[in-house]
Amino acid sequence: MNITLNVNGQNKQVAVPSLDMPLLWVLRDIMGLTGTKYGCGIEVCGACTVIIDNQREHACVFNVGSAVGKKITTIEGLSAPGTQSHPVQKAWIDNQVPQCGYCQPGMIMACEAARRAGHHGTEILSELKHLCVCGTYQRIREAVKTL
Amino acid sequence: MATTNNKITASQPEMGLALNRRGFLVRALGGLSLGFFLPEAGHFFDLQAADPPPQQLANAYIRIFPDNTVTLLFGGCEMGQGTKTGLAQILAEELFVEWNQVKVEQSLVDPIVTYGTGGSSGVSRRYDRLRNAGAAARELLILAAMDKTGDTNRNNYRAQSATVVYTGPNAVSPGVWTYGVLAAAAALKTVPADLRLTNPANFRLIGKPLSRVDIPSKTDGSAIYGIDVWFPDMVFAAIKHCPTIGGVMATLPATPRGALAVVPCKASDTRGAITAGSVNAVAVVATDTWTAKNLANSLSVSWTLPASTAGVDSAAILAQAQSLMASGAGVLVAEPVPPTGYTPATYAPVIEGQVNSAMGTPTIDSTYSLPYVAHATMEVLNCSVKFAFNAAGAPASCEIWAPNQNATSVTTYAAAASGLLPAAIKVNTTYLGGGLGRKIEQDYVSQAVQVALVVKRPVKLTWMREEDFTHDQYRPMALVNVKAKLSGSNITAWAYRTVTPSISQQRGRLAAGAIDSQAVECARNLPYNLGTHVVEWVPSPAGIPVGYWRSVGASIHVFAVESFIDELAKSANVDPFTFRYSLLTDLPDNRARNVLAAADAMSLTWRNSLPAGRAWGVAIGEAFGTWVCEVVEISAPTATSITVHRVNCAVDCGMAINPNSVEAQMQGGIVHGLNATLWGQTTFTAGKANQKNFNVNRMLRLNEMPQITVKIVQSSTTAPTGTGEPGVPPVAAAVGNAYARLTGKRQRSLPFFPGAVMGGI
Repeated sequence: MNITLNVNGQNKQVAVPSLDMPLLWVLRDIMGLTGTKYGCGIEVCGACTVIIDNQREHACVFNVGSAVGKKITTIEGLSAPGTQSHPVQKAWIDNQVPQCGYCQPGMIMACEAARRAGHHGTEILSELKHLCVCGTYQRIREAVKTL
Repeated sequence: MATTNNKITASQPEMGLALNRRGFLVRALGGLSLGFFLPEAGHFFDLQAADPPPQQLANAYIRIFPDNTVTLLFGGCEMGQGTKTGLAQILAEELFVEWNQVKVEQSLVDPIVTYGTGGSSGVSRRYDRLRNAGAAARELLILAAMDKTGDTNRNNYRAQSATVVYTGPNAVSPGVWTYGVLAAAAALKTVPADLRLTNPANFRLIGKPLSRVDIPSKTDGSAIYGIDVWFPDMVFAAIKHCPTIGGVMATLPATPRGALAVVPCKASDTRGAITAGSVNAVAVVATDTWTAKNLANSLSVSWTLPASTAGVDSAAILAQAQSLMASGAGVLVAEPVPPTGYTPATYAPVIEGQVNSAMGTPTIDSTYSLPYVAHATMEVLNCSVKFAFNAAGAPASCEIWAPNQNATSVTTYAAAASGLLPAAIKVNTTYLGGGLGRKIEQDYVSQAVQVALVVKRPVKLTWMREEDFTHDQYRPMALVNVKAKLSGSNITAWAYRTVTPSISQQRGRLAAGAIDSQAVECARNLPYNLGTHVVEWVPSPAGIPVGYWRSVGASIHVFAVESFIDELAKSANVDPFTFRYSLLTDLPDNRARNVLAAADAMSLTWRNSLPAGRAWGVAIGEAFGTWVCEVVEISAPTATSITVHRVNCAVDCGMAINPNSVEAQMQGGIVHGLNATLWGQTTFTAGKANQKNFNVNRMLRLNEMPQITVKIVQSSTTAPTGTGEPGVPPVAAAVGNAYARLTGKRQRSLPFFPGAVMGGI
């Protein structure tokens, strides 16, 4: 069935097999927006985090039907392509956070959701319970202090 | 140039061309192209490869074009360890270009030469050759400048910021030429004998904490991992293995409604040969991964289970190891080297007699136990494949995108699965969302190729997390018994015996009765004076598939050795640092002593003023030529965890190419080690792995992260040693030693808190 999704400020017509399909797989497999990652599928790792109407959501369990009519922001929508100009991106680069980098889009989106909720600096840390198998946590802590 | 909608590009090397006697291949190709051989991978390749790497062939290229771009093409991989950045620094240093003037690009895989990343070798083993190649390119450019001036005195030229500057007496205007201008002429020159390698004292870039080249793209979603490869006309497959190890499909199930196909996938052995008849998985293909995995989950497949399956059980494997430990059957002596006339097996009774005589009643006799551990890379296994078919419908060529640590073997597996010649297979190595040793294996590549052959469309095969955790090639289990005799604070006798499976033996690459060096890695060649001693290995025949897990054997034996050393120190009533200093015989380089002393100094103040309820522990270990000492502070033991407050880490990795990356690798290695220390294990019941997702494979979260301080003890400026893995091994023993100090209870089994679970976020 055809639905309209508002992703990163643009309305997109998308054909989905079911309104129950998790947003993660609509973004990745149907729309080709692969910055949002699959890690566990059970809301434990946080790699799939996106922002929907300013709220942090786990796209791996968020039904696409529930996203219709809402504003979806993915990692690709944080700043103009190639600029990495968003404050969270800059903090991540300044502190040389990523190693493999696979969990970082989810980390960055959760961090941005916390900022939109009015949190700053170390207040943000309690929102960041995502898994990073590379162990970049210490540099994330340092990056978040500057936000 | 290969392009997908996700902007993957890779550059084509010149296939399998021979190097000259000096090890270079100089060609024009529209500028200057210098081919050379970059050593690939660590010791696992020495064991794994059927043939040694053909070092007479080029597998890396420096390209300088008229627009003054400088590019290094290499076939290894970037999985978070910072290799691309380290290599760029080395090249820019010797080529005398600025940091922003050099790019490192992933090359396509040349099927004739070898590529691989493992053994902490990404930068360390490539250092010398890359320096020489950079210098060779620079000298060729200077030879080209000599044609412009008529002055052949090399001392009248210097290279600077991708230009050659003439400083001699001849009247030449302007006297400065960019590399781009000189490149085509340089390609006609011969590499001179004197490459004028830069004195390390004058390094501008090597040794500096430069920013990593891959990080910006990892903050905006533009870095393309294997799982991100996407085409508009792609179909998606989810794998479903027989849940029981060794089981094979009995009958192919019908394609369910909503699926495009159900494809039987034959197992491949570790050299890529398809094992006839052994279909151990099916792939369900659909128009998206979600549909494919739902259909795979509900698909009923009839499997035939081998009779031996019932015994593939963690408790039975441990009991078998205990029996082998006690009976002594199959004992092989790994150290000392058996004298002439003896084999590792026949020498056992001789050396055991000597050690027993020196030992008498051991002062301490301890047994340590370690479990199988899954790799748990954040990016699950996946592979994309696109075939081209000829008019008759037969496969003509294929292109593969895979997050892999072993591109050579991607080609091997794909050739075996498709029947194509290697030259008809194009392999793209993407970014890896973690490798940790798992992506050395290419079982997932073979499956994706088999699926693409059937569906005849571009396909991406994904292992959902549950498949990734339950069909890993795990860090081997191990049982270790150590006995020692103390005289004062000296060790006079030491008997170390381990029962553990051999990765090489399981793969048919180890001669009967031979020692697998990885099975006893860090159990022998210890820096300590152990008196009369023996190190023995009894191979465990357990059938769980085992593989290379970040730091391999060191992750096992550093835990046992360093826990036991602390047990001895306690028995001798000597401080753990003092005890280790007194045993060290690591002459002539003193590297173990140096990192121990550095960690001692880092922790001296805080560890001697800890409040009640806190304790410290220390351990030291060597892996891949790098020495690491870690001191931890812990508190608050519960039934499921402890708090690790801080880790002081001293590392001697020889020449530290990029201190920023070295620090990151130590931080990452410590977290990897802590996960396995506290919670990590895979257990098996009747042939099935029990831990299927992160909720039952607990790992450290951000709020549990200790503060890690890293001190680089640079013992040498001549060569780097590995950094990707050596941070892992010491932390388990350091935490165990702190735990014993805090609670009086010695933890001799990993993980310390089995069965811990992790909630949602």
